[in-house]
Amino acid sequence: MDRTLFTPKGTYFFHHPTQQSNGTQPDMQSSNNQPQTSHTSTSRSSDSGEPCVTGKWASSLLKECARAISDKDSSRIHHLLWMLNELASPYGDCDQKLASYFLQALFCKATESGHRCYKTLSTVAEKSHSFDSARKLILKFQEVSPWTTFGHVASNGAILEALEGETKLHIIDISNTLCTQWPTLLEALATRNDETPRLKLTVVVTASLVRSVMKEIGQRMEKFARLMGVPFEFQVISGVNHLGELTKEGLGIRDDEAVAVNCIGALRRVEVEERRRVIQTLQSLGPRVVTVVEEEADFSSSRNDFVKCFEECLRFYTLYFEMLEESFVPTSNERLMLERECSRSIVRVLACDDIEDDTGEDCERREKGIQWSERLKEAFSPLGFSEDVVDDVKALLKRYRSGWALVPPQQGEDHQLGIYLTWKDEPVVWASAWKP
Amino acid sequence: MQMMSSDMFSIPSSIRTFAQDPDANPNNLKPPPKKKRNLPGTPDPDAEVIALSPKTLMATNRFICEICNKGFQRDQNLQLHRRGHNLPWKLKQRSNKEVRKKVYICPEKTCVHHDPSRALGDLTGIKKHFSRKHGEKKWKCEKCSKKYAVQSDWKAHSKTCGTREYKCDCGTLFSRKDSFITHRAFCDALAEERARITSVAATNLNFRNDSMNETVINPQPGLLNGFAGRGGPDAAGISQFCPGFGPDLTGLPEMVQVAASNLFGSSSVGNFGSCNESPWLDKSAATSNGANLSLASLPHALKEEEGNKGSMVETLTSLYSGNQSQQSSPAAPMSATALLQKAAQMGSTRSNPSFFGNSFGVMNSSGSHSTTLNTLTHNRNELHQVFGTGKQHENLMATASLSEGVLAGSSLSSLTSTSNNLAQMMMQTSGKQTEPVPLKLHLGSNSVENSLTRDFLGMGGGESGRPFLPQELAKFASMGSAMGLSHFTSNH
Repeated sequence: MDRTLFTPKGTYFFHHPTQQSNGTQPDMQSSNNQPQTSHTSTSRSSDSGEPCVTGKWASSLLKECARAISDKDSSRIHHLLWMLNELASPYGDCDQKLASYFLQALFCKATESGHRCYKTLSTVAEKSHSFDSARKLILKFQEVSPWTTFGHVASNGAILEALEGETKLHIIDISNTLCTQWPTLLEALATRNDETPRLKLTVVVTASLVRSVMKEIGQRMEKFARLMGVPFEFQVISGVNHLGELTKEGLGIRDDEAVAVNCIGALRRVEVEERRRVIQTLQSLGPRVVTVVEEEADFSSSRNDFVKCFEECLRFYTLYFEMLEESFVPTSNERLMLERECSRSIVRVLACDDIEDDTGEDCERREKGIQWSERLKEAFSPLGFSEDVVDDVKALLKRYRSGWALVPPQQGEDHQLGIYLTWKDEPVVWASAWKP
Repeated sequence: MQMMSSDMFSIPSSIRTFAQDPDANPNNLKPPPKKKRNLPGTPDPDAEVIALSPKTLMATNRFICEICNKGFQRDQNLQLHRRGHNLPWKLKQRSNKEVRKKVYICPEKTCVHHDPSRALGDLTGIKKHFSRKHGEKKWKCEKCSKKYAVQSDWKAHSKTCGTREYKCDCGTLFSRKDSFITHRAFCDALAEERARITSVAATNLNFRNDSMNETVINPQPGLLNGFAGRGGPDAAGISQFCPGFGPDLTGLPEMVQVAASNLFGSSSVGNFGSCNESPWLDKSAATSNGANLSLASLPHALKEEEGNKGSMVETLTSLYSGNQSQQSSPAAPMSATALLQKAAQMGSTRSNPSFFGNSFGVMNSSGSHSTTLNTLTHNRNELHQVFGTGKQHENLMATASLSEGVLAGSSLSSLTSTSNNLAQMMMQTSGKQTEPVPLKLHLGSNSVENSLTRDFLGMGGGESGRPFLPQELAKFASMGSAMGLSHFTSNH
């Protein structure tokens, strides 16, 4: 049974696959009193072979296709892939974009070409990647959205408080934000009332994309630290294929140093089976504080159920794309780049099996805060963010457009397990702090 | 030790001074001059030194009603209250005899104002000092979470919080401190300074750089104090030229302070590329001792560094941007000629015949020229015009779309100028095309989807035999078992 609802924004088209209906009558129950006489929007049953091009069609179509793939219904797969191909575009609106990127993954899944596609996408990205482009991209993103800065402010606050009074700080940074977290920390260290401590920053790089720009980033960090007047040392560890291989000696951790481990978007890149071992490795480094920031999505527990995983993936990236669309100006090149970067993750999660072919390929199977907490509890105990840090985060969010909020606003024992950044009341990023 | 009187003790001064009494002249018709203010922390040697306890200093309600023990901040308020008890109004009379000036010391032993020779001159001052330095910070700014012990400080801050703007060397303005800091750390302007250090003869500068590093290890508060005596008076000179920033030195954004201080350090000597602000330089040279070293060499540096930008700049921070906007990547607006040159450069790399083989390597020409979707659509239209859309131009169309898709993701500002180049490329590479590339079933207007499908279907997979989605889809539609899907059973 097809029903169409007309609203000024577009038509929401609900489609039931097994039924046909000819001559769809548009439902005149529009929530706004607009005479819907000119039906320029075409809403027809997809069974008649014509595409529906209005409203939030992408979600249903994509899910249909995922189901078809899971059912191995090849003619249906053909049909839906074809339809999606007609409608998708990485330059269109949110629906078109989502359709485009998820279509790619669906196709790869259907043709079992996920790994090859992922490799290609990675190569492409690598070649077009430079310090300038990466810097511009991430700084612009941080300017319009607190997606990454949320985690930065919370982590920096926790680190500063945990290492208060120490004179030799060593931060092990395993993050995907290209050291944009550290200038504000350096400034805070420099302007503290007490003596400025020494800071050694060891950046562990696993993604090959990041390796190439790390050198330049390091130079900037050193210069900036000099500017701030903070005695500073910077080193990059890039030969590590596997985080489980990290050792105190390998990282240059000395006994007189106070260690903090900072993982932003890092744990999800570890293969699911290896995660326990990696957390134990982190424990072996003897940190005073561990800060973990991850995106709030679960691609891990459903990894054997394609449809379920697909739906979760779609849910998360829909949020992300919508957030991007609302945060950037419509003609932003940066937004386009960020969307393209998602394509790799989406293909990786949906169309690549977690197989033995591990050449340092990032896993990308996100887990939710609660799940990470269960893992981290095995090696660490939760450290709540102090009131000051929470206030800092709140102040940060105020500087951005509306729609962003912080949960929990600090109460109860639950706040020990981290805080969430929400966008339009949906939790999107989780930040937490842990102590030995 | 609750009452003030029991806490007081006098320390007779040991130094005699002249008695200075400017308004003694009865014939003086001018209004009596204001009380002379000594420099903070350098008290009148004749004054009576008073040491109050921390409790007294922090007490907010000093005036207590004897009947009900209610506390009031001011004597007048207490008197008003006392009328309610039907008590007579007891006003404190000013004593007629000359009152000996009182100065106050801080009870905190480690504090510099604990020493009587550094006592502070008024009661309010010592109270505020004690709260600020040694007290608990109870007042918090909502916007930036900065904490204050004294309510008036907090109020004053709240008024200006968020209104201040930070300006980077490269000329970009920021309203948020954190984004300013992060930008600054990655800004090319920072990198540029390094380049200039090496170019300018700088033995003395290097020396100063080291000494500067040592002194800044304990900045307090902000970064100015780290530069000790050099910092203070210079900042005063600087603040004139930065109209956006108030005279309050502690309120000066640290970045600007540092940037300013860097002037005297080695790292930003070269920023004086086209500096015409000689009065400022002279003034600073006069007031700062250590800075003289670098400033003396500055005029020479100036002449060396005379850049191509000759425009007069007014504010201090503009001095930086004036010179650097030419060299650094265009965060500041570039001149039209420079932009065109850059575009031409990019255009020429794109017309490289190995374009298609090495397309992605070339794509990264410039991250800073960003295109807009409008431009993209426009360019696409241009290409369509150039190559036509009929079926006989399938090959070219396909390749045009191909390159489009390839180009789409990166900076394309020069694309407008390179459609001709693209045409050249087409001619050059069309010969390489071994087999015609069939387009998808419905050659809609959405040729971008062509490019997309080609895009993700393995650009690196080789030039021939690439599976294309539309081709496969065509196969799917017509044949039962398409390649790759043969393992699927057909369910109808």
